[in-house]
Amino acid sequence: MIKQKKIVVVDYGMGNLWSVISALDFLGADSIISSNPAEITKADAILLPGVGSFRLAMQTLANTNLNEAIKEAVQIKQRKILGICLGFQMLAESSTEDGMTAGLGFIPTPVESFSVQELERRKLPHIGFNRVRLPDSSHLFDGFKTEEDFYFVHSYRLLAQALPGKKAICNYGTDFLAAYEHENVFGAQFHPEKSQTNGLRLLANFLSA
Amino acid sequence: MLKKRIIFTLLYDNGSFMLSRNFRLQKVGTIDWLQKNYDFSHIAFYIDELIVLDVSRVERDIERFSDALKILAKGCFAPIAAGGGIRTLSDARQLLRSGADKVVVNSALFDDPPFVTTLAQEFGQQCVVGAIDIKQDVDRAYHVYTNNGSCQRNEPVTKLLEQLPEKSVGEFYLNSINQDGTGQGYDLGLLDLIPYQLNLPTILAGGAGHSQHLINGLLDERVDAVATAHLYNFVGDGLKKARESIRLQDVDLANWASFSELKSDLSMKGIPI
Repeated sequence: MIKQKKIVVVDYGMGNLWSVISALDFLGADSIISSNPAEITKADAILLPGVGSFRLAMQTLANTNLNEAIKEAVQIKQRKILGICLGFQMLAESSTEDGMTAGLGFIPTPVESFSVQELERRKLPHIGFNRVRLPDSSHLFDGFKTEEDFYFVHSYRLLAQALPGKKAICNYGTDFLAAYEHENVFGAQFHPEKSQTNGLRLLANFLSA
Repeated sequence: MLKKRIIFTLLYDNGSFMLSRNFRLQKVGTIDWLQKNYDFSHIAFYIDELIVLDVSRVERDIERFSDALKILAKGCFAPIAAGGGIRTLSDARQLLRSGADKVVVNSALFDDPPFVTTLAQEFGQQCVVGAIDIKQDVDRAYHVYTNNGSCQRNEPVTKLLEQLPEKSVGEFYLNSINQDGTGQGYDLGLLDLIPYQLNLPTILAGGAGHSQHLINGLLDERVDAVATAHLYNFVGDGLKKARESIRLQDVDLANWASFSELKSDLSMKGIPI
């Protein structure tokens, strides 16, 4: 039952928190918004949203000790985490946005910009619903068809190569990691809270995983 | 394959929602009226994105606008861009904390380009929608107008767009003042004004009266999304029907399950919604 779970949406000043909370409310989940490291270490499930610059976001997490709290919850207590958009990128190893910056390191892959060669006159940022190829037998995509549409708005992406775990792949000139699931680490480059019923279903799957 | 988008634009003025014709505003109703007479979450289900613009001609009240935005965002699981008179980072942040995913800037693009750069640095380029109001004047030449269409910029449109600070805008929203609210169709001529090297997603606005107009816009390969603010033509089942007829025209739109389908699937998993 998702009702009994303590769900914490991490507030570090850079997320579209209202939308995420609205979606969780719609699903009947009890969630709180918090920037308090102690609350985060007590959570059953953590949502890490985010809009903006990777470097700024990681610096903010470090300055507020939220990075240690998230690491403790995820790596030591094995709590579930779902990163959304920039929050997903922050789960990765590092990003080249505004110079090289280390991420939380839960997903062993780098974040890089789309390259001009790959895009071949496709527009950047990558904005809009795009088709995502979904993995078999994952928690996150339970009840979906093999391909579904989700809403993206980003210029950087996680590389999908040589990763363990379940991978959902989108193509925009090149294949990239659209969503990911491995043990207690979940993430989506797209915005589930903005992907109509497809996104609501994914959020429900995360909460009940 | 990236899908094309249908966007609904709501025009807000001091607590009310408005219809606009050639930028002259007419009051339609308050947010309560909108919720009561049009099931907004139902409309939101048939669009790919929502844009909410504060077009108040007198002093703007960001607190009140944000409150209206929160109410709209509550039942809307599609992306929302909001703006109108945004001049400070704290205004932008407030909208982003009230349900907006993107911030729309208009006059500041030309009056205060450093501010737009700062916005992009803070929230990312993808977060900034550059709304540009364009009018074809009697001499047939196109001009950019700012400040709710009241202030003509002399420079050619293409040159003005070329001069925008690099990587400050993530998307263009091109609105025709001539076509605005007329229901006579988009001005595709606006698309010729975009500089070739500015390869940004482009939303075409101003003039859609029925679904064939949306189709005409979407079939142009330079158009990523079409917007309509024509409240009366597309309420009720208007957008649903428009969506269905557009799909028949080989325009690739996103698909998602209906609420009832989701509801029954989730209830089987013990998640009542």
